[in-house]
Amino acid sequence: MRIGRPTLKLQKRVYLSGWRAASISILAILVALLLFSLIFLLAGINPLTAYEEIFSYAFDNPFGLPITLNRFVFLLLCTCAFILPYKAGLWNIGMTGQFYIGSLAVYGVLLGLGFRGSEPVNIAPGFVILLMVAASMVSGALYGAIAGFFKGKLNTNEIVVTMMLNFIAFWLVSYMIKEGGPFMNPGGRGESFEMAASLRPPTFFNVPFTIFLALGFAFLLYFLLKRTKLGYQIRAFGLNPTAAEYAGVNHVSIPVLVFLLGGALAGLAGYHYFAAVPGVFKIARNYAFFGDLAFYGIICGLISQGNPLASIPVAFLFGGMSVGGRYVQGKLGMSFGVDFALMGVLMITLVAFQFFYRYRVVFSNPQKENPDARILD
Amino acid sequence: MQEFLIRSLDASTIFTIAALGELIGQRSGILNVGVEGVMLFGATLGFITATTTGSYMLGFLLAIAIGGLLGLLHGFFSITLGGDQVVSGMGIWILGFGLTTYIGSPFAGPLGLPRIPSVFGLSPFFFLGIALTAIVWFVLSRTNLGLRIRSVGENPVVAEVSGISVTKTRYLCVVTAGMFMGLAGAIFSLDYNPVWAYNFVMGWGFIALALVFFSMWNPIILIGGSLLFGSLWQVSLNPQLLLPDLMSRYIWRTVPFTITLVMLLLMSTRWFRTKWGATKPEALGQAYVKEG
Repeated sequence: MRIGRPTLKLQKRVYLSGWRAASISILAILVALLLFSLIFLLAGINPLTAYEEIFSYAFDNPFGLPITLNRFVFLLLCTCAFILPYKAGLWNIGMTGQFYIGSLAVYGVLLGLGFRGSEPVNIAPGFVILLMVAASMVSGALYGAIAGFFKGKLNTNEIVVTMMLNFIAFWLVSYMIKEGGPFMNPGGRGESFEMAASLRPPTFFNVPFTIFLALGFAFLLYFLLKRTKLGYQIRAFGLNPTAAEYAGVNHVSIPVLVFLLGGALAGLAGYHYFAAVPGVFKIARNYAFFGDLAFYGIICGLISQGNPLASIPVAFLFGGMSVGGRYVQGKLGMSFGVDFALMGVLMITLVAFQFFYRYRVVFSNPQKENPDARILD
Repeated sequence: MQEFLIRSLDASTIFTIAALGELIGQRSGILNVGVEGVMLFGATLGFITATTTGSYMLGFLLAIAIGGLLGLLHGFFSITLGGDQVVSGMGIWILGFGLTTYIGSPFAGPLGLPRIPSVFGLSPFFFLGIALTAIVWFVLSRTNLGLRIRSVGENPVVAEVSGISVTKTRYLCVVTAGMFMGLAGAIFSLDYNPVWAYNFVMGWGFIALALVFFSMWNPIILIGGSLLFGSLWQVSLNPQLLLPDLMSRYIWRTVPFTITLVMLLLMSTRWFRTKWGATKPEALGQAYVKEG
C-alpha cells in the first residue's frame, strides 16, 4: 500500500513489541483528549482548565480519589470480562447484563437468608459476604456462558446474543426492584431494599476488599493467558479457530469457558457496586448508569491490547476520567453525559489507531535501490 | 386496537428501513454492527434540527446526511484501512451512544411541533418503507448494479478480476446503508416517539441487525420479520390489550429481546440451515486488499 508517491510507505508489522504497543496506546489517548477538547471549546470552556479539574478531582482529592478507586475496581473487572473472550476472538459486550444479573443474585442471597427488613442473628456476616460474592460470580458466569455456548454449538453472532441478554437483564432488574417486585424498597422509591448494616465489608480508605480481588484476577488472567496450556489454546483459537480445531482445541468448550470466566468477573462487579462500595448498599434507581459504564471495559480492553496487566493502569486512568468528567459536568455547568461523550470519542479514536497496531509508516528515499536499507543503517 | 395496529406498522417501518440499510451493506460484504449508533445519531441530530429550526424536512435531511457520513467513516475504517469491521462498528455504536447522550440532553423532552400528518390513517413512512423495500429488492436481484453488489459480497477477488471495483461498490453500499439507518433513527425520533430521552433507541438497532440475519439477506422476508417484531414491540408496551394480567409489564419488555434470541438460535441450527439454505454472503466481514 502506498500513500503519496515515493516518500511515504506503509509496512505491515510482523511483530509488535509491548513497548511499541504501549506507546501507540498512549498516543491514541492523547489524540482522543485533544479531540475531546473541542467539546469543551464548544461549551465555551478552556480545555486546559477542564482537564486540570478532571485530573485533580479524580486523582488528587480526598473525595474524588476513593470514587476513582471504586470505579477502577468496577472497570478492571469489566475489562477482564471483555479481554478473555477477546483473546479467543469473541466479543463479550454483555458485561452490562452479567453485571445486572450478578447484582440480582447478591440481593437474592440476602432475601433468601431473610435479611430483608430484619437481621437474623445466627448467621456470621463473613459467611454471608462470601456467599454474596460467590452468588454474583456464579450467576454472572452462567449468564455469560449462554452466549459462549451458542457461539460454540451453533455459531450464532455473540454480539447480538450478548446485547439481547443485556436488555433482558435490564428489564429483569426493573421488575425485581420496582412496583411490587421481590426486591422492592419498602419506601417504594424504585430501588431495592437496603442491605443490612452488619454485612458492610471492611474498607481501606473507603475502598472495599474487592480491589484486591480485581487486582488478583487481573494477575491470574495474565498468568492464565501467558503461561498455561489453556491460555495458549485460547489464543490459538482467537487467531484461527479452524486451525486450532485441527490442533485439538475444542470449538465448544473454549467459547463456553471464556464467557463463563468473563461473566464471573462482570458478575462480581455487581457485588462490588451494589453491596460493597460505601454509600450505596442497594440496587440504585439509576442502575442503568452503572450498567452503561461497563462499556468502558471494551475501550480499556482494546487499548491495553488484551493484556490484563496493561489494563490495570488503563482502567485506573479511565475510571478517574469518567469520575472527573461527571464532576466537571456539574462544576462547569455542562450538560449531562460528559463521561459518556468522552467514552465515545476515546472509542472512535482507538478504532482509527487500530491501524497503527498493524502497520508502520516508513519514510523511504526513492533514490536508493532498497527503501528499507536506511532503517537498517 | 386500531391504534395498536397502526403503532405496530409504524414500528415495523423503522425496523424495516434500518435493517434494509444493514442488508445492503452486508450484501456487499460489509458488516456494520453499529446500527444502533447510527440510529442514535440520526434520531438525536434530526430531533435537534427539527426542534430548533421548526422544519421536519431539515431534520430528516440532516439525519440522512449524518447517517451517510457515519457510513463513510465505517467504510474508511473497514475498506480503506482494511481494519476489523466489528471493531469499527462497535466504535460507531459507542461513539453514537456517548456523544448523543451529551449532545441531546439539553433538548430532553418533547419535540414541540405538530405531528406529521398521516396518509390514509397511516404514517407516510409506512409507504416509504414499502417503496424502499421494493426498490432494494429490485436493485439487488434484477439489475446490473445488484449483481455487482452481490458478487463483491460473495467473492471480491473474482469480482475485481471481472472488472468490478470492489472498493467503489462497497463504499456505495456502506454510505447508502448509513443513510437508511440515519433515516430510520429520524423516523423514530420525529414521528414514532417524538420525545428525546437518554439512550432512547433502546436496542432497536441491534434488533434490526438480528433481523438481517433472520431475513436470510432477502428484503421481502425482511418485511415479514419487521412486521413480527414491530407488533411484538407494541405488545410488550401494551400487554393489557392482548393478555391482561399474565406477567408484570417489566417482564413483557424482555419479550422482544427473548424472541429475537430464540429466533436467532433457531436460524442457526443445522436443521434450519439445511432446510432453507440460509447462507450469508460469503465474504461478509472480510477485508479485501487489492493485490499489488
